[in-house]
Amino acid sequence: MVLINSVFCKTKVNLTLMPSTQAISAKNLSCTRGDKLLFENLNFSIVSGECLHVTGENGSGKTSLLRIIAGINRSETGELVWNNENALVNLSFFAACAYIAHKDGLKNELTAIENLRYYQQLESNNSNSDQNEEALDEALDRLKILQCADLSAQQLSFGQRRRLAFARLLVSNFSLWILDEPFTGIDKNGRALIEELCVEHLEKGGVIILTHHQSLIDSPINAYRKELKLSELDGS
Amino acid sequence: MNPFTSIWTFLSTTYHRLGSPREFYRISRYVTPVFGFLFLTLSALGAYFGLFVAPADYQQGDAFRILFVHVPVAWMSLFVYVVMAVAGAIGLIWRMKMAFVVTICSAPIGAAFTALALLTGSIWGKPIWGTYWVWDARLTSELILLFLYFGIMAVYYAFEERKTAEKAAALLSVVGVVIVPIIHYSVEWWSSLHQGVTVFAEGGPKMPPSMLLPLAFMAVGFMFFYGYALFLTMRNRVLINERKSKWVRALAMGESI
Amino acid sequence: MNTLTLYFRREWQLMFRNTSSLIQPLTFFIIIALLFPFSLPAENALLQRIGGGVIWVSAVLATLLSLESMFHSDYHDGTLEQMLIHPRSLPLAMLGKALAHWTATGLVLSLFSPVLCLTFNIPSDQIWVLFAGLLLGTPSLTLIGAIGAALTVTLRRGGVLIAIIILPLYIPILIFGAGMLTQATQGLDVTSQLYALAAILTLALTLSPFAIAGALRVTIN
Repeated sequence: MVLINSVFCKTKVNLTLMPSTQAISAKNLSCTRGDKLLFENLNFSIVSGECLHVTGENGSGKTSLLRIIAGINRSETGELVWNNENALVNLSFFAACAYIAHKDGLKNELTAIENLRYYQQLESNNSNSDQNEEALDEALDRLKILQCADLSAQQLSFGQRRRLAFARLLVSNFSLWILDEPFTGIDKNGRALIEELCVEHLEKGGVIILTHHQSLIDSPINAYRKELKLSELDGS
Repeated sequence: MNPFTSIWTFLSTTYHRLGSPREFYRISRYVTPVFGFLFLTLSALGAYFGLFVAPADYQQGDAFRILFVHVPVAWMSLFVYVVMAVAGAIGLIWRMKMAFVVTICSAPIGAAFTALALLTGSIWGKPIWGTYWVWDARLTSELILLFLYFGIMAVYYAFEERKTAEKAAALLSVVGVVIVPIIHYSVEWWSSLHQGVTVFAEGGPKMPPSMLLPLAFMAVGFMFFYGYALFLTMRNRVLINERKSKWVRALAMGESI
Repeated sequence: MNTLTLYFRREWQLMFRNTSSLIQPLTFFIIIALLFPFSLPAENALLQRIGGGVIWVSAVLATLLSLESMFHSDYHDGTLEQMLIHPRSLPLAMLGKALAHWTATGLVLSLFSPVLCLTFNIPSDQIWVLFAGLLLGTPSLTLIGAIGAALTVTLRRGGVLIAIIILPLYIPILIFGAGMLTQATQGLDVTSQLYALAAILTLALTLSPFAIAGALRVTIN
């Protein structure tokens, strides 16, 4: 049996007033892999300006939970509520939600900027191409990979690819970021950069759900953090 | 209470009961032997009337008597496919666990019916057409149907995660059921050596009642055989699928449920 | 940009960057078709009679070969996951992708088939029959095959499985497509077979995008 231990260690309440607050909550989620029950009766609730830090051992179901929240997998029970509506039947949820995982969703054949442009076209209907191109350059510049814009994704280093994957968050207007181990394979500066982006996003009233195997005590994100611990209590 | 409401209540409770593996296991224990008994009785009657009572055919002599096995088996091969696909669709749409079990357990039974239809067909073909195999429409469609069954089984066993495997097999069976009529008509167009429709022809059956009666007994009997075989394999699969659940553990400890 | 165009264009862009995906199906198609003259008595009359069937079987096999890679790289680089959760219609996206895939396989094969017809000594008035049949039939091959590709994308050795589950479903298209040429050789009308192929294509265009999308949702987890 695996039980869920929701430890909410909220350290600071974010009081930035936003015109519209976003909220996501889960009721009674569960997930099994093969015969193994990863978690059941899992609940959480976060609102604008909060970051849910999912922790737990390897194999405790962190990635599975993130994939359920992103809508790739389905929970066998319970529901996911986004701004008072059932999330998974709601297109506005999918438009608001970005999922970045280990598989970065980048095409080797395309250049960095082409990869980014595809994701921009996918999410937006803005036909002003000047504005769009400007946004792409800005995003690449922000992640310090503008000099790689015309290199094919295959030529990028792992860290540069990660940065390119994160640039996707800046070209479209996502309010919910779902990040699976965002700091893996990225250098110190890169990590600081991503943390900065996260804090900015949270300050603007966004919501983040992330997994990270280490403590975030020293991270600027810690101030917005709520913890959800997936714990394996009994191996049977 | 108005009769419709009570019928509806009955149907929905039955549905929900059969939707639960445990309830299915409990109820099927009593239903399965009944199916087996009906199968044995009806097919014994059908065999008796077919082999001893029905007169020999004026053209084919006694060779035609294989019809009492061949025709019901060929009907069942299609019937099982439809049941499998409908169950697959129910499983995919309403996420019903037991519907997938019906799909998965029907596939080998349907494949066996199809293989038997092919086998009896070619045995029958030898004295009548002078060859075991002809490229005629019905034999060919039946052969393709056999491959469709094999495809569904192959998909099911290719996945390690059972839930994915069940859904993938169900989806393929639904896709197949859309294409089966097209295959049937294309093959029909391609070749029509086989004799025309005899039983369900316009203006009533072209068969004397002495042959029709055993055929009917055999057809219904084989239907019960399908039910019997299906429930047996389903009971087995339910135990495997639910082996971690409390009730199966209790069962293994010798407790009754 | 609408979903269909977006995906069609993207797939094109990717195929042109990866030239082997353009060359492979066509080369395979020609080689398979040219194996038959080597394995049969070299009589012009025989080759002429079986040529249509041979070209059709080669087209089916070449399409089948190209299917395995259809979702392969999308699955491995994570693009497929992103497709499942973007706010656009997945069936439409899959339709765009499958159509683009067809232009690189089925369309190219159909365009090249007249040349193969010449090597089989198929009379010129029958070449157009084969060409029209391939043009109507190959998109259905790709669309139906994509269902199999989507079902097996997560499996390590999906290639054989695609063949097992998809080839039986190809039989009607093969019957009408190759049957058309047999009819034409006997001087009979082929419009009914053309209609049959068109009807199958209509069904494939409308239903298979949903089946592909459904298959991806089932297998990606």
